[in-house]
Amino acid sequence: MAKSPLSGIRVCDFTWVWAGPYCTLQLAHLGAEVIRIETKTRPCVTRMLPPWPDGVFNSLNKSGYFNQYNQGKKSLSLNFKHPEAKEAAWRLIKNSDVVINNFAAGVLERMGFGYEEVKKINPNVVMITLSGYGDTGPYSEYVAYGPAQVPLSGLSALTGYKGFPPMHAGFSYADPNAGVHGAFAIISALFHRAKTGEGQYIDMSQWECAMDLLAEGILEYTMNGREPERNGNRDPLMSPHGLFKCVDLPEKVLDVRIDQWVAIVCADDAEWARLARAIGKPELADDPRFATLAVRKENEEALEAIVSAWTATRRVAYVVDTLQAAGVAAGACADNKYLSEDPHLKEREYFVYREHPEVGKRQHCGIPWRMSGTPCEVKSAAPVLGQHTNEVMTGLLGYSAAEVEALRAKGALD
Amino acid sequence: MAGALSSLKIVEVGEMVSAPYCSKLLADMGAEVVKVERPGVGDRARTRGPFPGDVANPETSGLFLYLNTNKRGVTLDITKPEGFEILEKLVAGADILIHNVAPPEMDRVGLRYERMRRANPKLIMTSILPFGLTGPYRNYRAEDLTIWCAGGVCVLNGGGPEHPELPPLKTAGHQAGYQGGVHGATATIAAAFAQLSDGAGQHIEVSVQESIASILEMTFEYWPYMKMIATRLGQKPLQPVETMQCKDGYIYLCCIEEHQWRNFVEIMGNPEWAEMEIFKDRLVRALNWDALRPMLEEWVSQQTVLDLYRKAQAKRVPFAPVSTMGDLLNSEHLKARGFFVEIAQTVAGTHKYPGAPLKYGRTPWEIRRPAPTLGQHNAEVFGKELELSDARLEELKRKGVI
Repeated sequence: MAKSPLSGIRVCDFTWVWAGPYCTLQLAHLGAEVIRIETKTRPCVTRMLPPWPDGVFNSLNKSGYFNQYNQGKKSLSLNFKHPEAKEAAWRLIKNSDVVINNFAAGVLERMGFGYEEVKKINPNVVMITLSGYGDTGPYSEYVAYGPAQVPLSGLSALTGYKGFPPMHAGFSYADPNAGVHGAFAIISALFHRAKTGEGQYIDMSQWECAMDLLAEGILEYTMNGREPERNGNRDPLMSPHGLFKCVDLPEKVLDVRIDQWVAIVCADDAEWARLARAIGKPELADDPRFATLAVRKENEEALEAIVSAWTATRRVAYVVDTLQAAGVAAGACADNKYLSEDPHLKEREYFVYREHPEVGKRQHCGIPWRMSGTPCEVKSAAPVLGQHTNEVMTGLLGYSAAEVEALRAKGALD
Repeated sequence: MAGALSSLKIVEVGEMVSAPYCSKLLADMGAEVVKVERPGVGDRARTRGPFPGDVANPETSGLFLYLNTNKRGVTLDITKPEGFEILEKLVAGADILIHNVAPPEMDRVGLRYERMRRANPKLIMTSILPFGLTGPYRNYRAEDLTIWCAGGVCVLNGGGPEHPELPPLKTAGHQAGYQGGVHGATATIAAAFAQLSDGAGQHIEVSVQESIASILEMTFEYWPYMKMIATRLGQKPLQPVETMQCKDGYIYLCCIEEHQWRNFVEIMGNPEWAEMEIFKDRLVRALNWDALRPMLEEWVSQQTVLDLYRKAQAKRVPFAPVSTMGDLLNSEHLKARGFFVEIAQTVAGTHKYPGAPLKYGRTPWEIRRPAPTLGQHNAEVFGKELELSDARLEELKRKGVI
């Protein structure tokens, strides 16, 4: 079988929480050998977060969150209170192509693994720090947590219902965004290294990386000196453009109603005419209130009320099938259950199920691309903490079995 | 020094955000990109704005100018056989073809990897598609909003338990496009890296829906692990993690760890209510958010954003301002890092744009040229590089091919 694109590349992975692990997940997807450096004394935050299969936290290895973003990686457990553990990390760094962390600026330096030190023993390494604020600048040592990066970036100021305060994105969007941009940067640097032999250091600010996603808002300000107005799900050049309520699911979850919505967009007048026909009101296509984009924008509330009245008594799947058959951009506002059962994703074999010693085979999200020449696959489930300590210490790092046992007895390998 | 990717030649057939952002990421690091647009109208992003002075002009759309830096631009109607032939000539001299032509249109014009490979056996072709090239939704009509929803992320955001009547809320901008673009760029550069050792071309198919489903934090796994549905209507598991209004703007309160809450209580001057049993830990604070919220709102409303931000950060509490665009442009931190870049373009003039997503120690990220005007490089690319004669170019122009 053909090799994956990054096979032969080894990554020394100091990352934790989400941004860094999402970065190294991309590298693992692409075939790199990713070795996480972990410790029981301060485990990765996501190892302690839900969802847990038993409903309660009773193991560092059962979190669905951790297990999603660490698929295909190895875990080497080192306790840096012991100098011997640091020595093992140095051996791994020496044998790695990439060293990565997402601590705040300066933290890795204080641990002794700053780029200046790393470069001395591995001059051509590609090294990256994905910090919240970047390595330089007056706020470089500020603490950044995922949820707060969304409002910091400017995305919240642009996101929200008309007349309401700024809203969130609903998830820590800046984290995976930084992670995947970081993966792109690392592979670009590996490309340069393969051509020239030169490694380099990459300073990434999650904040800056998120601002690259809001050029329209920023340019409204730099071109016209204006703060853009929040306008819900609407769009200035397409109408209708929004979410419309369908029939709720019959069940409730923890007393919470599971409401169902469908997204509908008409990019032009012809698509609007198709929508009007599909909802049984072909006369609306030529109605003077709705015939052109300009009048649809003027009468958008009335327009949305008409579309809502049609969707409100129907199930999502029916609405999507009917409108897509009519040539209208419509789609379910999928929740996690809907996604998990999505026939399209199933047929494309997007989901992966790998045996895990503590949670068994669970459904996990897979790889969002297919490569014809260098196929990618999720090699294994996420590692239990320290799962590969023996293998990495004796195989790659050159310790004897007896040395490993002695280090373990001392507590250097926790 | 040349950019890390300066040896790569790319042809982009891209509209709006996904494929253009993908090739921008490569172009800003040195790759040479020729962007192919439809004659007459060009990329739809040219209609989107924002426009300087609010005057719509295909040459001054902020979104287009941002997404197409460092590219040369040609016009070509690939739905006409003569146009497609020229696309094959372009691809013959390139390393990578990046496109987001939707599958039904790919079928109509015959844009298939097997065919493009005949023009260039070493070609890397990246197809960034809403739902991929296979499966029942392959031919679905899609816009950024419908894909963002299909990926399972939109459902997480919205009015929350206080406003269940409000619909799930999209994140501002064309976020599905950006995620398709950056995931596509990652796979594309990995293929180019692999080609350095095996010399082979290949086809990469990127699903934007799957790219979004890959970034759902822990919410997707609630179903396979606990049979629970994640919804915007649920209560937050811990508090406070919430936006609140200060005297002069909004701030985001973020106390995830207990020590952060204790430090925040200290900043508030240790009010008596903070010692109440119903606020004693992050889980209980979430359950009693109804009671806590007004207490915090009252105190926060007396503060100014920057002052509270700095006080919190001085105690390692990760609050952040809800930045306006003006806040970003005027941030002392971003100025010190030189994040925003000025780009001059002949028609639009000079404006500040978002800059490098990362800073490379050795190879530069740089703006070598602004986005192209429509068909700006037709003569240079078709005439000089593909060596089409003036007469032939005139003929193609008459036929509406270029």
